[in-house]
Amino acid sequence: MSISIAINQALALSIINVKSFPHRINNYLVSIISIACVAAVILTVLTMTQGMIKTLAQSGHHNTLLVMRSGAVSELQSVMFPSEVNLLANHQQILRDKDNRPLYSAEMFVNAELSSQSNEHVPAKIEKLALRGISENTFYFRPDFKIVSGKKFKTGIRQLIIGRAISRRMPELMVGKTIKLGGTKWLISGVFSDNNSVFESEIWADLGMVQSDYQRGNSIQSLRLAIKEGTDIANLNQEWQIDPRLNVRTELEQVFFANQGENLTRLIRWVGFPVAIIMALGAIIAALNTMYSAIASRSKEIATHKAIGFSPFAILFSIISEALLIALIATMLAITPLYILFDGWTASTQNAATLSQLMFNFDISFTLICQTIALSSLIGFLGGLLPAIKAMTLPITVAIRD
Amino acid sequence: MNSTSTNKPYITLDKISKSYSKGKKQVVVHDNFNLTINRGEFIAIMGPSGLGKSTLLHLIGGLDQPTSGNITVDNEQINNLSERKLTQWRSENIGFVFQSHHLLPVLNAKSNVELPLVLTPLNKKQRQQHAKLALKLVGMSDRAQHLPKELSGGQEQRVAIARAIVSDANILLCDEPTGNLDRGSANEILALLATLNKDFGKTIIMVTHDLNAADFATRTIHLEAYINQQSAINNEVTTS
Repeated sequence: MSISIAINQALALSIINVKSFPHRINNYLVSIISIACVAAVILTVLTMTQGMIKTLAQSGHHNTLLVMRSGAVSELQSVMFPSEVNLLANHQQILRDKDNRPLYSAEMFVNAELSSQSNEHVPAKIEKLALRGISENTFYFRPDFKIVSGKKFKTGIRQLIIGRAISRRMPELMVGKTIKLGGTKWLISGVFSDNNSVFESEIWADLGMVQSDYQRGNSIQSLRLAIKEGTDIANLNQEWQIDPRLNVRTELEQVFFANQGENLTRLIRWVGFPVAIIMALGAIIAALNTMYSAIASRSKEIATHKAIGFSPFAILFSIISEALLIALIATMLAITPLYILFDGWTASTQNAATLSQLMFNFDISFTLICQTIALSSLIGFLGGLLPAIKAMTLPITVAIRD
Repeated sequence: MNSTSTNKPYITLDKISKSYSKGKKQVVVHDNFNLTINRGEFIAIMGPSGLGKSTLLHLIGGLDQPTSGNITVDNEQINNLSERKLTQWRSENIGFVFQSHHLLPVLNAKSNVELPLVLTPLNKKQRQQHAKLALKLVGMSDRAQHLPKELSGGQEQRVAIARAIVSDANILLCDEPTGNLDRGSANEILALLATLNKDFGKTIIMVTHDLNAADFATRTIHLEAYINQQSAINNEVTTS
């Protein structure tokens, strides 16, 4: 038998199955719903993971060294003092500006409580947001920083700018509005973007004002240093580790955020994927049941095909393609509403490292859709394989007599 | 009735035995069964249920394998063929007509008839022409676009016959083709089979309970009597 005839056979039976699909849709509903649920969970987990990784991956620069207190896993847990800043910033490997001043950014990072109350009869709603105290130098380290509305804050007064991700999620935080952070009122002077990085989930204000408001004296929490190209980070780290005047840990900013992303997404994967796997097993069983009963009800039809001379391969192919069609329909049913309702939506989650909210874009990309279709197809394939083998080996004489 | 049969053995069942296990019991359906069918014969096999009439058809059609003995069709011993070769042989040589026609409900008459041609190298246009011709032959041209549910029982069986002959198989195996039909429709189907036998030289083996079948067939085998007769001959041979 030539390959083209074999393919013709397989396609002919598959087309018949597709044509008869609407007549049997009720029998397939359980499978379709189960696979659709799995596809929705898979797509959500993949999109969230991808969104967070993308947000955090875009948040660091390869020539920026992040310095924190030794043992601190996040900026929130760190504390550093001016003497340490001076020592570190004046190292020979640190870049200098045109006025020969070291390029560094001393920053404060607090978990600020935003209190909002629509009217006096309703209890105030508290949202935890990341507030970063910055200086003019900070903008050197954020080359993608842009003011998208309003203007930068003025130093020495309680003005702040909010990240675009916060602005999207909380549109009530408009430029010109006064908000209450902790116990004091701040004026929103602008909204900024930073290439969809994690910083768009933050509020930025003058370092001095934040230090003062949160009674931190002249301490800071993290230091960003611009290092010269080709600097041996390991050596530099070792040098500072053995310096008795310093008690710090250093890491490339890019690596720091990548690790933070890994920690965040690991949790989602550990929770999301086991749920998806359990649901997938259920969906496979549902698909198996559906396909077994489909074959049982069509045993005469299958036997007739075999009697006419259709090859066992064509029978196998047609049953598997039917199961794949079920999976494809289910996946489309899951993807379409998710895409229409949530694509481009700014989602937020608790960032365990900073205890504040991390906003990220829920972008349902073509790649993620393809991955979801591939995983759902695998479920369909596994659900269809055993019934297809049963159909392939169905004794014709028994089926025709039954 | 005229016959186009020749006296040359076309299908030979030589000392065929067929048994199967039913629980712990071994059920013997045929034991040392012999039958020779000439090319162009129209044979009606009759007899009570349980004698193995359908099993005979399945064995000749390569749907089932004998426990022992040989089946030769047109000088080819089919009981030794692999499953793959047997499938191909079946598609080229055998047309089946079942009691419950087994037409695909989602395909119209023409597409149902066209189905076996998917197994051939014919292109779509050629397949459609063949299907059209087969439908014309069974008098169903005007129902080509109808779905099986839009046809009467007799019309469905005509379409099933068109499907059986469309790939120009030489042998038609019919298992109770008139079993579900009223007298009028049954006679029409029998007449159609007789025409296919007489005018187109098809070798037809039909299992039936229809008493009228003998009027259309060229040879009628009453299986119970035939088996008894064979046993007697076998015993005679053994004794002598």
